[in-house]
Amino acid sequence: MGVAIRNSHVMFPIIESLHLLALTVLLGSVIVLNLRLVGWGLRGQPLASVARSLAPLALWSLLAMLLTGGLLFTSEALKCYDNPPFLFKMAALFGAILFHWTAFRATVNSTRPAGTGRRLAVSAVSMTLWFSVAVAGRAIGFY
Amino acid sequence: MTSLPEFCQWLQNTPWGTGIRESTWVFPIIEGTHTLAIALSVGTLLIVDLRLAGILMRREPVSQVSSQLMPWSVSGFAIMFVTGALLFMSQAAKAYGSVFFRIKVLLLVLAGINALVFELTLRRSIKTWDAAERPPIRARLAGALGIVLWAGVIAAGRTMAYNF
Repeated sequence: MGVAIRNSHVMFPIIESLHLLALTVLLGSVIVLNLRLVGWGLRGQPLASVARSLAPLALWSLLAMLLTGGLLFTSEALKCYDNPPFLFKMAALFGAILFHWTAFRATVNSTRPAGTGRRLAVSAVSMTLWFSVAVAGRAIGFY
Repeated sequence: MTSLPEFCQWLQNTPWGTGIRESTWVFPIIEGTHTLAIALSVGTLLIVDLRLAGILMRREPVSQVSSQLMPWSVSGFAIMFVTGALLFMSQAAKAYGSVFFRIKVLLLVLAGINALVFELTLRRSIKTWDAAERPPIRARLAGALGIVLWAGVIAAGRTMAYNF
């Protein structure tokens, strides 16, 4: 299958476009949730309600991103294996997923609203991790 | 300068065009910024369009979701436009000849028309359907069309890197 994707003129760009679309949806939902967390957007809605609305979008786009990313990796595994941006991306992705479903989620769902400083810090870590995933992903092709 | 291809050739031979194209770091940095700006602009717009389509945040008035998120989307668009213009400058002749670049520009224009038509028609009557969980069919169509067009812009933009 890896060979088929690599050698196909059409498959690789299609999967890569789907990967980028999934990333846009995922980052979009993460950005909007972070905007609400720090109070820069959707202020009229309770944080928990924004989180509930966006959770399915984030989960499904993450799964789509992992699936299409897995297919892309299958076709270029050897190129990726010693590609520094790729290794960095995997580390950032691992960190982003871990952080999102632990500290970030705890802050968002906490019954006692977190202080402004904590919100800003959690949001900064979250955005840095997810943006690193996107930028490192783009850099794989440049290296 | 008499024609569009000549203009593109001239553009990419300007000091800026050449400088970006031949740089080690500037091109990837601009490209990376362009990608993040897409996530900010289209990602936030997607949430607004999903509300308009009656799929997400149905209990919130459309105008609320829109007014809170559109400033972010527009800021992202500005960054995307500036970085996109710089990328175009550096590869103008190649982009001009790329069918995917032409598709991308066409889809961008269509997305702009979709937004403009919405502002000029449905936006005027928004008070009558602002809180509706399912906005009128034309509003839902405008939201869905916006999502499809922007997805097309992203896919065409990514595919520009390939020559078929």
